[in-house]
Amino acid sequence: MTTAVDRSVRTASLLTPLIAGRPGAGTATAPPAPPQAPDPRTLVLRERALTARRAVIDMAATPTGCHLGGSLSVTDILIAALDRTADDPDSEVVLSKGHAAAGLYAAMHATGILTEDPVPHYGAASHHFTGHPGPSVEGVRFPTGSLGHGAPYALGWALSRRLSGRRGLGIAVLGDGELQEGLVWETFQVAAAQRVSNLVVVVDRNGGQNDGMVADISPQPELAARFEAFGFETAEVDGHDVGALRALFDTDRAEADRPLAVLADTVKGKGLRPVEGKAASHYVTIDAARAAAWKRIVR
Amino acid sequence: MTLAGRAAYRDELTQIAEYDPRILCLEADLGGKGHPFAVKHPDRFFNVGIAEGAMVDMAAGLAEGGYRPFVSTFAPFAVLRAAESMKLALGYLGAGITVVAPYAGVSGGWFGTTHHCLEDFAVVRAIPGVTVAAPYGEAEMRAVVRRAAVTGEPHYIRTGRNAAPLSLPWVGPEPPVVNWDVHGAEPDRTCLVSVGEVGTELCLAVRRSLPTLPHAHLCYLDQPHLERAAAELAEHYDRFVVVEEHRQAGGIASALALLLPGREVSSVNAGESWPVHGGSHEQVLDELGLNEAAVWAALAPHEVPPHGAPATPLEQEDTE
Repeated sequence: MTTAVDRSVRTASLLTPLIAGRPGAGTATAPPAPPQAPDPRTLVLRERALTARRAVIDMAATPTGCHLGGSLSVTDILIAALDRTADDPDSEVVLSKGHAAAGLYAAMHATGILTEDPVPHYGAASHHFTGHPGPSVEGVRFPTGSLGHGAPYALGWALSRRLSGRRGLGIAVLGDGELQEGLVWETFQVAAAQRVSNLVVVVDRNGGQNDGMVADISPQPELAARFEAFGFETAEVDGHDVGALRALFDTDRAEADRPLAVLADTVKGKGLRPVEGKAASHYVTIDAARAAAWKRIVR
Repeated sequence: MTLAGRAAYRDELTQIAEYDPRILCLEADLGGKGHPFAVKHPDRFFNVGIAEGAMVDMAAGLAEGGYRPFVSTFAPFAVLRAAESMKLALGYLGAGITVVAPYAGVSGGWFGTTHHCLEDFAVVRAIPGVTVAAPYGEAEMRAVVRRAAVTGEPHYIRTGRNAAPLSLPWVGPEPPVVNWDVHGAEPDRTCLVSVGEVGTELCLAVRRSLPTLPHAHLCYLDQPHLERAAAELAEHYDRFVVVEEHRQAGGIASALALLLPGREVSSVNAGESWPVHGGSHEQVLDELGLNEAAVWAALAPHEVPPHGAPATPLEQEDTE
C-alpha cells in the first residue's frame, strides 16, 4: 500500500524522470500540480536546510574534507525528521548512513539540537565530530557508520516505545546503497513480523555509492514493491520537499499495524549545481575560496 | 539434580522478570518451544527469528529505551556472526545488553564445526566494558544472571549444551573473583586454574586423583576481573596450569601469562585444529586433545599422577 499523505507525495512514476541518471529519466511526465504557497513552517525548514548545506560545504573545506554528496542529498530529510523529533523525547532519528555525519551535524545545529558549531571542529583531534557519528556527540544516541546498524537500532527504539505505551517514532535514515547490506533486510523482516508500526525507514535514494552509481553496481528494481512484500507500508516522496517529508513524519501511526518505508528520491550533492548528481561528489575536500564560492550559489 | 546452564538461565530470568518489568527476553529461534519466559511473560518475550545481528542491535535500541534486554543464541552465532553488533552495542555504546551463549566450545559434539565456538573469549574479551563470565553449574549461572539484571551493564555469558555440573560452593552473594578449591592442598605446588564447564570438570578430576594440588576457579573472565584474579593468584602460588575449552590464541591462559610476569603459566586448551568429526562432546574434546591426560602432561614434571594418568570421563550428557 502506498500512503498518500498530501499532494507533494508522489508516485515513483511521476518522480523518477526528475532524477538525473535514473532509469526512466526523460520519459513522459504527468501534468505538474498547480503551485501552492508554502506554509510558514515549510519556509522555516527550507531556511534551516540552506543553513545546513552551507555548513556542510564548510566541513568539506576542513583538512579532512567530508562526504559532501550524501550529506547534501540527505539534508532535507534530516531537517524534516529532526523538526518532528526535536521536542519529542519519545522519538528518535537514527542516521544509519553514518558517513553523512557532516549533514547530520549541520542539520542538528541548524535545528538547535546541537549547540556547538561543528564546522570548526569537524574531523579535528580532541573533538567528537568524527567522520561517522557516535554517542559522545550531543544529541546523538547511537553509533553509526558501519552500514546497516541504524535500522535495527531504530527498530529497538520503536519497540521500546510501544512496550512503554508511548507513541514515539523510531526513524531510521538509510542510504540506497546501504540497502545492499544484509542486516537491513534481516531487520525489515523482524520489524514486519513484530508489526512495529512506529518504525519509519527513510531511504535517501540518491542513486550513488562510494564506487559509482547504485544502478551500475547493484541495481534495486521495484524497491517499493520489495518493501511492500516485506510487509511495510510505503510512500514515495520528493526527498527535497521538506513540507511533504514533515507531513509524512507527522502522520499518526497509532492506528497503523505495519512499519512505514519512505522512499525519498534525492539528488546527490543537492543544491550545489557543480556537483549535483555526480558520483564524484561522494567525498570532497575543497579549499576556503571554493567553499566561499559554493556557499554563494548553494540553494 | 541441577539444571544445565541454559535451563538455569531461562528459569532465573523468568523469575527476575516477575519483579523487574524492565527485563526482556529475546531469542533467535533457538530458545525452544515452551520457553518458560515466553509462557510467563509473553508480552516481553520476542523470538525475532533467525536474525542474530538484528537481535543484538535491536537490543541496543531497547536498552536505550529503558529496558534490560537479555538475548540468547548459540555462541558461534552470537559472538562471531554478530561480532560487530556486539562491539558497537555492548562495547562502544555500552548498552545494558546481556548475551547468553550456549553451545560454546565444542559442546555441540556431533553438530559439527559450524556449531562450535572456540574463539569467543578472544573476541568478547577484546571489547572493553563487557563483563565476561563462564559459569560452572546452575548456582553460578543464576548468580551471574542476577548480577547482569541488577547492574544493567553489558554482559556476555558463555555456557555449554546440556552438561549440568554442581557449582563449587562460595561465600557471598556472587561468585568471587577467585573461587579457591584448596581443601587438602599444599603450598608450593602447581595451582590449577579452571575456566568454564570443561576446564573446571577436568581440574576437579585431577584434584580427585591428587588432592594436594590447589585449584582456583574463575567465573568472571573480562580484563578487569582477570587483573584482580591475577593479583590474588600471585599472592599464593608461582606455577599455574590454566585449563579452558578455547583456542590458545586469545584465551585466558595467554591473558594471565601477561598479568603474571615472572610466574610460570601453562595452558591446556583446545588447540588449533578444526573439530571436523562427530561424536559426543567428550569425544570431540578428546580429538582436540583437551582431556585429563593433557592436564597431567601440562603439570609434569612438577606434578605427577599417583597411578599414571587416569582418564576420568566427563559428566555424561543427556541427548535432548
